[in-house]
Amino acid sequence: MLTLGEVHTGLLQNSTALSLDHTTQLLDLLVGQRVRRSERPIAYAVSPDQLTGVDCRLPTASGRVTRGVGTVVSHAAVTGGHVVQGSTYTRLDRAASNRRLIWSHYLSRPGRVETIGKVDFSDVAQGFLSPAPQPQTLNLGAVSARLMDVVQSSPRLDRRPPFRTKRTRLRWAIRPAPDATAEPRGTFRVESDTLRTLELTAPHDDVSALVELCEDLALHDWLLTTLLSLMEFSLTGPGTRAQKIDRLRPAIDCLLHLWMPAARLDESVLPVWRDLEHRPGFTRQWQTSVTRIRDQVTLSTIALLEAPAR
Amino acid sequence: MLIFATSDKGGTGRSVTSSNILYRSALQGSDVCYLDFDFGSPTAGAIFNIAAVAHGTTRGGLHEYLDGALAEPQRIEVWAESDRASLRERPPGAGRLVLLPGDAGGGEFPATREHVERCADLFLRLEEEFDLSLVDLSAGRSWATQMVLAATAMPKLRSVRCRWLVFHRWTRQHVLAASGLVYGPRGILDIGTRAGHDYDELLNSLRFVRTAVVDPDSPELEGLKPAQVAWLRECNQDLLELASVSRVGRTMLIGSVPLDPVLQWREQLISDNDVHARKIANLETVEAFSLLAKLIVDDSAWEML
Ligand SMILES: Nc1ncnc2c1ncn2[C@@H]1O[C@H](COP(=O)(O)OP(=O)(O)O)[C@@H](O)[C@H]1O
Ligand SMILES: [Mg+2]
Repeated sequence: MLTLGEVHTGLLQNSTALSLDHTTQLLDLLVGQRVRRSERPIAYAVSPDQLTGVDCRLPTASGRVTRGVGTVVSHAAVTGGHVVQGSTYTRLDRAASNRRLIWSHYLSRPGRVETIGKVDFSDVAQGFLSPAPQPQTLNLGAVSARLMDVVQSSPRLDRRPPFRTKRTRLRWAIRPAPDATAEPRGTFRVESDTLRTLELTAPHDDVSALVELCEDLALHDWLLTTLLSLMEFSLTGPGTRAQKIDRLRPAIDCLLHLWMPAARLDESVLPVWRDLEHRPGFTRQWQTSVTRIRDQVTLSTIALLEAPAR
Repeated sequence: MLIFATSDKGGTGRSVTSSNILYRSALQGSDVCYLDFDFGSPTAGAIFNIAAVAHGTTRGGLHEYLDGALAEPQRIEVWAESDRASLRERPPGAGRLVLLPGDAGGGEFPATREHVERCADLFLRLEEEFDLSLVDLSAGRSWATQMVLAATAMPKLRSVRCRWLVFHRWTRQHVLAASGLVYGPRGILDIGTRAGHDYDELLNSLRFVRTAVVDPDSPELEGLKPAQVAWLRECNQDLLELASVSRVGRTMLIGSVPLDPVLQWREQLISDNDVHARKIANLETVEAFSLLAKLIVDDSAWEML
């Protein structure tokens, strides 16, 4: 057994923070199904789950050909009226039979993909997490990206974002823990400027808590990545301190208040966050950056106050 | 913002000029990307000195993406991946400079509904990330041009700003050809309005760029005989008149790039080093690129005519 997923995170293409009511309408993508929303500790809404049918090769590190048939689940979420995510995942199991069955079989198992023929799940997990693209294999990222495209091109958005920034991708895999009572463990890697991977070992009884963990981690990784790149651009570029602060304004206005790691997560997955706080130490890096921004703002205010005296 | 670079003929200097303009935008602090939509002859890799994609990529470029074979086209971060040492370091304050190469051996294709959809989706994704996405189209009335006109007419791209640069050399033939490409049958305005664009709006988002222009008053022509200079002046005067009656004249002009010795010999980006330290390129050329980089995003240069 193996669960695979990929979360994409980006800036909602709107000039201001979208209210929770507007966010709810934005994510109302499927007729007859409700958008889940919560106000606290931070405005958050998530679209109903969508199913996508797949029948394709699975990625493998060895290059071995393994076929998978079934469905993947995805949804879109918006946090704080500013950050949009597309998230897709599926659980792989061995099929009982060695051939493809009728679709109703797979539809009655939403979010499951059955492997046909020989399969080595750790080979598939390694292949899936590998940063090298494997064309023509199961591509959960493409499903997440398309779903984000749908949200981002909604006429409800004004497409005048406060700044431009990259989407980031978190690709994750969960292998069952050998001991069902063990705490979940994760290894987080920064593979490129936009790709991160997370390899988890965890008991498989509550996949949705783990999916939420991955989404929360992806959100905070994006916040940190985006803040750092805005700071680099603002502080290393030419200009006076006031001009630099001006360039940082969008970060101050829409990002700083969104940092709330693990706020909505289930107790059972917290050990993973705790480890990541130890190393690489997300919150420590975030705090350092925020302090640096605050210092710049303070210095610039002091300069302003002193200016007329001279 | 999306900028479309087009020309009626090949060899006008469209790719070299638009690459240099984009390079200057990045140096001025914008995050920019270059899309090689010249599917018949993708050359952007050579201009940005990326040997692996000098004639297009073999690892999944724009052509394959638009054809539906991949979820994402390949991207190359020029500051990190160029083979030219002077480009390999991102100067402080410079924005991102990303190349999306075409495919080696791509060729043109008829633009189906799916191509147009995928093209629109790509533009929207790039808009999230980049201040400026410059699309280098193939010369003349190409499928690529039809596709982008159809994509930008879609409702979901309505709030994305689009501008067109039409490159031409400063000769009779090129002035007439550029005029025909814009105003003529099956030209940009004709195809554009049929795709759903508003005629005046499209016309107002379009300007001409003159390339490799020889200024008859340039001190470099001092060696010429007086009769030759007089003849050049006369030609220039004739051309100004022709341009004006062909609606390629002053009001529709956004910039001119002088003939440059370096570009005459090689398709490349001109760095400040090429001008100041090596003294092989002319300062006027770089100034023309820098000015164009400012004007393409300066609304006052695009006021209603
Ligand atoms: N300002 C210029 N001065 C001299 N030569 C130029 C200038 N601009 C472009 N060229 C040269 O013109 C030729 C055609 O340019 P290119 O950009 O490849 O044209 P296109 O993309 O329109 O086919 C190239 O050899 C290029 O270096
Ligand atoms: Mg060209």
